[in-house]
Amino acid sequence: MFADESPDWNLDLNGSADCELCGEEPATMHLLKVVDGTIIHTHLCARCAEETAGEQTEGLALVLAVPSVLRGLGKKASPDKHDVPGGSAVNHEENFCGVCGTTLSDLKESGMVGCANCYRIFAEHLEATIRREAEPVEHLGKMPLRGPETDTLRHEMMRLERMLRELVEHERYEEAAGVRDRLAELGQRLDGGEV
Amino acid sequence: MSGDALTASALSLSRNDSLRRFPHVEDAAALEELRSEVLGALKGEHWERPWRVYDLDAMPSAEVTHLVERGLMTPAFAEETGEGRGFAIYGNNQASLEINGVDHFNLISFREGDHLEALWSLVSALDDRLESGVSYAFDPRWGYLTTYPAKAGTGLRAYATLHVPGLMLTGKLAATALELVGRGLGLAPLWGGAGGVVQISNVTRQTGPESEIIEEVESMARAITDKERSVRKMLMREHPVQAKDQIGRAIGVAQHAWSMSFQEAVNLISAAQVGVEQGLVECPALLAESAFSLMGRLQPAHIVMDHMEVKTDVLESPEIDEIRARIMRETFAGSHAR
Repeated sequence: MFADESPDWNLDLNGSADCELCGEEPATMHLLKVVDGTIIHTHLCARCAEETAGEQTEGLALVLAVPSVLRGLGKKASPDKHDVPGGSAVNHEENFCGVCGTTLSDLKESGMVGCANCYRIFAEHLEATIRREAEPVEHLGKMPLRGPETDTLRHEMMRLERMLRELVEHERYEEAAGVRDRLAELGQRLDGGEV
Repeated sequence: MSGDALTASALSLSRNDSLRRFPHVEDAAALEELRSEVLGALKGEHWERPWRVYDLDAMPSAEVTHLVERGLMTPAFAEETGEGRGFAIYGNNQASLEINGVDHFNLISFREGDHLEALWSLVSALDDRLESGVSYAFDPRWGYLTTYPAKAGTGLRAYATLHVPGLMLTGKLAATALELVGRGLGLAPLWGGAGGVVQISNVTRQTGPESEIIEEVESMARAITDKERSVRKMLMREHPVQAKDQIGRAIGVAQHAWSMSFQEAVNLISAAQVGVEQGLVECPALLAESAFSLMGRLQPAHIVMDHMEVKTDVLESPEIDEIRARIMRETFAGSHAR
């Protein structure tokens, strides 16, 4: 069976809560303490969570941590606003998806998108909040059986791009050249197919 | 599985139709249409076993809770009230399909014991067949697209349910939980923490092939159960009287109580199970049936469905507590603490 994961187990929807211990850092962890069958919820920052967890809890106590990232999209988005004076990020707030009507503020508030198209419209925001790795990530798992050929091509190109970067990094230029040629070939096929 | 703290495995797989908006913004007619298309496809002949379709609107709430208690439905889906929801169970309860919950489709499968890989091969095969009638929302970069972008990728969530009362009792679960979070996994209590039964799963980890995600959950489950084993040894060595006292009292209460809440029953069975594993308790019932399965059938909706003539929707009542205590007395009748 599946543990109940009502929103209550996660952080506040907008992720704006401050740590309940130090009151300074934003809370990113949700700690549950079970004492005599009663559950006490505490929202903590990573540092306080670690300190609390390190303590030996007295008696029949338990501390559990549930990451708030699932709902914490809004919080990570706030640095965007600092970029605003720079210029281009201004229109960001007005972004909305023409297919389902979801706006960027909807997404920030609920952590949900409304359709597949949203992933393109809000790509920048989603990349910044969910995929924090420097490297662009590619999907390595299962793929739809009857996905269009272009999807397979794009997937292969992404894999090759990553391979190319690694080869260059390790100064294996001959192999890299081969991969680059293969990439160019696939790129042409992709362009040809889409026109 | 005796002596093993890994008690159950579960999987869920989220998918969406690329042609429709996600359930929370799509209009009722489109969701209804999707539901009837998919339910139609479930009647096809390309399935090895038949699907049983349920009419959620016509089901009493005790029956719905009974499905949740058996791991055939997720609690989140049971609480949803959106339009166009559909539900079906595959074969002999091997898997089920939730339609128009948070995502258009959620395939789930649950089994007692350590079976994540077997569950994945079943769910993956069902996923392939389901796809023959639907075009999945997929992006080569993001993977399968889901309503919560944080879950986009494989769409897979693998769960391992663990019995770790020793770690819970000593407050050592917190450090473990934080370690899990660092790996994109999470830990949640299954029944509000009763009996030290917890569930770990890949909460945010979505990248990499499915087999790696499953392996990660399994290896963390093994690491936690190893820790549990050493904590129990430590408890027996350093606090033998308290440990025996707790376990002995649990057997006594189990044999003589006349009213019992579910939480209390789970705590007692948990202590008795530790006693059996440490050789402190003789309990024929816990050799014949796993502690987890016994806990499972003492859940409120199980008692209503299995033991009460009137299938009431009231899941908290003195009558239920009395029946539960009776089952406990009968189950532990032949047991004794050494």
